[in-house]
Amino acid sequence: MKSMTCDECMQRLEQYVDRELTDAEVREVRLHLEFCPPCEERFSFQSGFKRLVKVCCEQEKAPAALREKLQKILF
Amino acid sequence: MAERESDTAAFSQEALTHLDTLYRGALRLTRDPDRAQDLVQDTYVRALRYQHSYQPGTNMKAWLFAIMRNLFWDRFKGGRQEDVSLDDLGDFALYDTLKDTSEIPETEVLNRIAAGEVVKAVEKLPPLHREVVLLVDVEGFSYKDAAQVLGIPIGTVMSRLHRARQQLQKQLYDYALESGIVPAERSA
Repeated sequence: MKSMTCDECMQRLEQYVDRELTDAEVREVRLHLEFCPPCEERFSFQSGFKRLVKVCCEQEKAPAALREKLQKILF
Repeated sequence: MAERESDTAAFSQEALTHLDTLYRGALRLTRDPDRAQDLVQDTYVRALRYQHSYQPGTNMKAWLFAIMRNLFWDRFKGGRQEDVSLDDLGDFALYDTLKDTSEIPETEVLNRIAAGEVVKAVEKLPPLHREVVLLVDVEGFSYKDAAQVLGIPIGTVMSRLHRARQQLQKQLYDYALESGIVPAERSA
């Protein structure tokens, strides 16, 4: 199998980070990343960025008063 | 009758497990805690009313989100999903910009960005872009599920997501410059 170029690899960056590639595509990307530190660094930065957005936006909890009100409505 | 009541109880029980998630989504959409609470409450009231249209075993979180974002657009935007255009950032990528302008390792820059700034940047996105980030990045929805919730093609999910992330990265880069995380004198 001919390994992909850096450009081809970068085109798959977002789909890779979002886990939208097929198993075969993931294998191909990983094969490239294993031997290409510059691409690997970009990929791990992009994963880190996605994680940052998730962690920062996941900190609040619903107020207790809202939960109680909903419990009355729902049950 | 008893069976129907226990169905409703099971439905309500499951729906409530998504409360924190929906509240956070509502906060990001409305950018206001009171409005967020109202939006979530109305989402549950509507969900209860239309529970017969939910198929058990399917993605309840996605179903609830779809109800909530429709209510949001009806209530706050008069049903118009206007597409505010984003600044054209060309091929801006935070990684490349940091690589070119800063000696601090790129991932270290991410570690130094305050959580509140990330939330602010997300809330600054136009709503149509904000909701894609919420679903895919924060809630971990697949492109397909996000497309279903939003009623748009998968390709539109991907392009909005790309633009939104670029916008987020640019905003956070500007913040990193202003706050001295990235030394200004070395910036391009």
